[in-house]
Amino acid sequence: MVPLAPALAFVSISFVGRRWPKGEWGGWIAVVAAGFSMVVSVLIALGEMGAPGTYTDVSYTWFNLPGSPGAFPNGFRLVIGTLVDPISALMLLVVTVVGFLVMLYSIGYMHHDRGLPRYYAELSLFLTAMIGLVLSDNLLEFFLFWELVGVCSYFLIGFYYEKPSAASAAKEAFIVTRVGDVLFLAGIFVYFATYATSGPAGGWAANGFLFAYGNAPFLAGVLGGNSFLLTVAGLFIVAGAAGKSAQFPLHVWLPDAMEGPTTVSALIHAATMVAAGVYLLAVTSLFLGFTSLDLLVIVAIGGFTTFFAATMAVVNPDIKRVIAYSTISQLGYMVLAIGVGGAMLGLFHLFTHAFFKALLFLAAGSVIHAIGTQDLFKMGGLRKTMRLTSAAFLVGGLALAGIPPFGGFWSKDDILSAAVQAAEAHAAYWPFVVLAFAAVYLTAYYIFRVWFLTFSGDAVRDPSLPAAHEGGWVMQVPLIALSVFAVVAGLFVFVPSFQTLLQPFGVAVAGIPPTYTSTDLALSAISVVLAGAGIATAYALWGGGRVYELAPRSAARPIRQLLLERYYFKAAYDAIGRRGIYTLARVADFVDRYVIDGTVHGLERAMGAVSDRLRRAQTGVVSDYAAYVVAGLLFVFVVLLLVGPYVVNAWGGG
Amino acid sequence: MGIPILSITLASLAVGAAASFVAGSRARWVALATALVFVAETAAMFLGAWGPALAPGQVPVGDAETYRWISLPWLQVNYALGVDGISLVLILLTAFLGLATIVYSWNESHRPGPWFGLILLTLLGSVGVFSALDVLLFFLFWEAVLVPMFFIIGYWGGPRRRYAALKFFIYTHVASVVMLVGLLVLVFYSGSTSLDYSALVARAPALPIVTQSVVFLALLFGFGVKFPVVPFHTWLPDAHVEAPTGGSVLLAGLLLKLGGYGLIRWGILLVPGGFLHLDPIVYVLAFLSIAWGSVVALAQRDMKRLVAYSSINHMGIVLLAIAVHSSLGLLAAVLLMFAHGVVSGLLFMVSGSVHHTFGTRDLASLGGITPGTPFLATMIMIGSLASLGLPALVSFPAEFGALLATYVAVSYWVLIPLLILVVTAAFYLWMMQRLLFGPPRGLPAEGAHDLPFFERAGMAVLVVPIVLFGILPGLLVTVIANSPIRGYP
Repeated sequence: MVPLAPALAFVSISFVGRRWPKGEWGGWIAVVAAGFSMVVSVLIALGEMGAPGTYTDVSYTWFNLPGSPGAFPNGFRLVIGTLVDPISALMLLVVTVVGFLVMLYSIGYMHHDRGLPRYYAELSLFLTAMIGLVLSDNLLEFFLFWELVGVCSYFLIGFYYEKPSAASAAKEAFIVTRVGDVLFLAGIFVYFATYATSGPAGGWAANGFLFAYGNAPFLAGVLGGNSFLLTVAGLFIVAGAAGKSAQFPLHVWLPDAMEGPTTVSALIHAATMVAAGVYLLAVTSLFLGFTSLDLLVIVAIGGFTTFFAATMAVVNPDIKRVIAYSTISQLGYMVLAIGVGGAMLGLFHLFTHAFFKALLFLAAGSVIHAIGTQDLFKMGGLRKTMRLTSAAFLVGGLALAGIPPFGGFWSKDDILSAAVQAAEAHAAYWPFVVLAFAAVYLTAYYIFRVWFLTFSGDAVRDPSLPAAHEGGWVMQVPLIALSVFAVVAGLFVFVPSFQTLLQPFGVAVAGIPPTYTSTDLALSAISVVLAGAGIATAYALWGGGRVYELAPRSAARPIRQLLLERYYFKAAYDAIGRRGIYTLARVADFVDRYVIDGTVHGLERAMGAVSDRLRRAQTGVVSDYAAYVVAGLLFVFVVLLLVGPYVVNAWGGG
Repeated sequence: MGIPILSITLASLAVGAAASFVAGSRARWVALATALVFVAETAAMFLGAWGPALAPGQVPVGDAETYRWISLPWLQVNYALGVDGISLVLILLTAFLGLATIVYSWNESHRPGPWFGLILLTLLGSVGVFSALDVLLFFLFWEAVLVPMFFIIGYWGGPRRRYAALKFFIYTHVASVVMLVGLLVLVFYSGSTSLDYSALVARAPALPIVTQSVVFLALLFGFGVKFPVVPFHTWLPDAHVEAPTGGSVLLAGLLLKLGGYGLIRWGILLVPGGFLHLDPIVYVLAFLSIAWGSVVALAQRDMKRLVAYSSINHMGIVLLAIAVHSSLGLLAAVLLMFAHGVVSGLLFMVSGSVHHTFGTRDLASLGGITPGTPFLATMIMIGSLASLGLPALVSFPAEFGALLATYVAVSYWVLIPLLILVVTAAFYLWMMQRLLFGPPRGLPAEGAHDLPFFERAGMAVLVVPIVLFGILPGLLVTVIANSPIRGYP
């Protein structure tokens, strides 16, 4: 029932939306549908809170191939179903609450744009697919919706399709995530085939779903003798998640995805879709299990990405792109959490992050809406004219930086302490855990650099910009609501009934609620001090309307350039695509036209030469031609009879 | 049973074709009526197919119709027709494509009588191929498809139509001759005096491996050219570029499937030993076609050539799904043939409409067509996304099945077609970026009109199965499984 409302909104808006005045009605339909989904989701979440550890699974056959004696003794059955459990209830809350608020905000933010029916239709389709993804009860269904959210993201990044940069960003996003997607598909194959061929009659092939409670030990039993397969499958899954969640080395697309409307960035590229990769890792680790090598790779990717992305955020002059790098970095924390065995801690951070990151984007959206630029160095002094926005951004920034009692503190701190504990057991984790701590400092610095540049000081730096003003109530209400969530979402971890959502199997999860031993407290102190230092640095360099300039000959200039060029990853990938693969294609095309087809034409000319000699045979009488055809047939026939067996024997005997 | 529905179908198509030829400007109404009757007949066949399930291993099923045709002491040729799930799904494809093509080319003003007549003849031949159960009858229908398509390309085609039509004819004709010889060799080796399929399938699989292998080689070449398999594929892009839109739709949607169907029904099921013996060759050809088709497509500027090369890629996946030799693979191969039929049909329609509307199909000189022609843009998007395998559209379950079966059979080799999927996505996205996004480029100054009603309706006929069977592939799978796929390894 939850995905149905936005699905109906999608259908109705896409078919008749164009006829409605200015798309406003379509917008309100989408808002109402999202609101309905939100209410149902809250009810579901409350239901799950009331009954710890319960789940409901309903599934229907999608396609069924009856059993046959060979590869698939149990037959082959794919199902589509819904699994409502604590994890999906948690995710539903995130998706529908943020979805509803962003839809509402869009009414004001997108007011002046053309193509509104398309916008609301695509956003509704996205919401449908995202809800479907969250409720999936098996990997294949998960993949199905995974691709659908991807294509919605593609459309919405390219919403301003007449802009070449938007078109190219949309394409880039699709192709880069596609690389992850096909590897994810390979991972599904490994799980699926192993289950279908070596699983017992009660295995996946017969009952059709994999996100089943108690499945992880079962799968470990099936694959126990073959941890190589489990490792490979896990690595494929990690690749898929890295594509969607923009983790190193598939991170390049997310900053460019900021070409889409800011609302889309808030919903899809901050709160929900990019978090789907983390969600995938979490459900995989809970229901299927990773091997220790997989976990090391996950820790490495997550820990490195937190720091790597944060460094690029430090210098970027574009308000949205800074927040985009921040998203990559924060997703890195969640990935790290899964790697150190704290899947639910990762999902908790996903939960808090969704609110404060959507808040940051929507606040940035208010600024962009008001003054029409994304360049930080043209802004300034907006605190005076946009009080609500500046306060909201401040709340979001504090939550992101991890200052207690704001949301991000509780979830990030849990991850860091779990990471340190894990690193004490596995020394190989240490470098990545240290990077994750270093990223705390950078995070606080870059987000407050943005805040000071935008809101502090006396006036806007570029006087040609229009006078700033707050958006209407439809834009203010979501800001206020998200600010509240950004403050309290982290504190939810102390609410016993909410804790049941973070304990999917009805079993206590380490770190929930936080225990606060002396080590934990010391770690918290370190991270808060690091964050404070970051804010202080930002104030020293950019506070009060100052603009910090590097000295002309400063050694930091080349580094700054390297960071602005994003470590040349984008340039390198472009070169692989344009120079490498496209050149290969041109060469192949040449071979196709002139070598393969050339051979054909050569044969034709040879035949022509022969036929000149045989011209006398061309009598123009049909029966003669018929005779030639028969003769030709006989010739082939004889060749096959006489020569064929020798050829085949030479091939390998029979 | 009882009602010879297949013969009735063939007869109605034949009557419709004949009537179209003489109906002149009213031919389109005749053709539409015939197509609608054909759709109804197909629906009737499906109602029969959803009846009781067949026993495993039972070969051609449904309403077998056999009449003695040529009876000599040493030769028995029958008029034998019959369908199972595999044929039925492909006949359904024929019905969709036929109706769509006729509606799409509703306003064909250049000798409409022969045009619609030839289209109906192509449908007639295809239904014949999908249901014939006698070597000679099969060959007759097989050739009967070739001739109308030769005229469609040669008469209604583009500037190099003579070259393209001849190339098409010679390639496929040589291939059919080799195929016929292969089948005849099989008949004589099996010691049967009857050319009937049931006689063949009872004896041929027991023949020595060497004989089977020789025959399989001949059949692989004969059907492979039709697929087309690299390196025997160069007729396809030329034929498509020169063919009129309706011709392209039938060529890609239907004619390529004849190769796939033939290889399954008259190849691997008749000479399984030879097939398994030479399976490595099939794998190599499949991987080659997949990779070559996709990579060369990336370099194309002509929209039709691009779609043509993507067809080579997709039919390569079909061949791969056949090569893996499993029930899932075979199922996926048939499903993918259906999927590719409707999707490539739609893509050739949009290419044709781009050409009519803007006077060129050159991707490098067109751009930003969305504001002026939103319907066309939407169709291009649906077609491209379906072709690159987006879930909830019809190709996805088929490609998923094919690649899963590949993994089960040859494990990590599956990474080749999987990574090629990225290239496929890349060229479709590149095409969409050029055509749909960005500022308008190369558009007529007075602005283009969005598509006329009949072109829209023709596309809509194909969008229905693309979406319907994408969401509910089980409808087709149940039917396809009602075939020798059961009992297959």
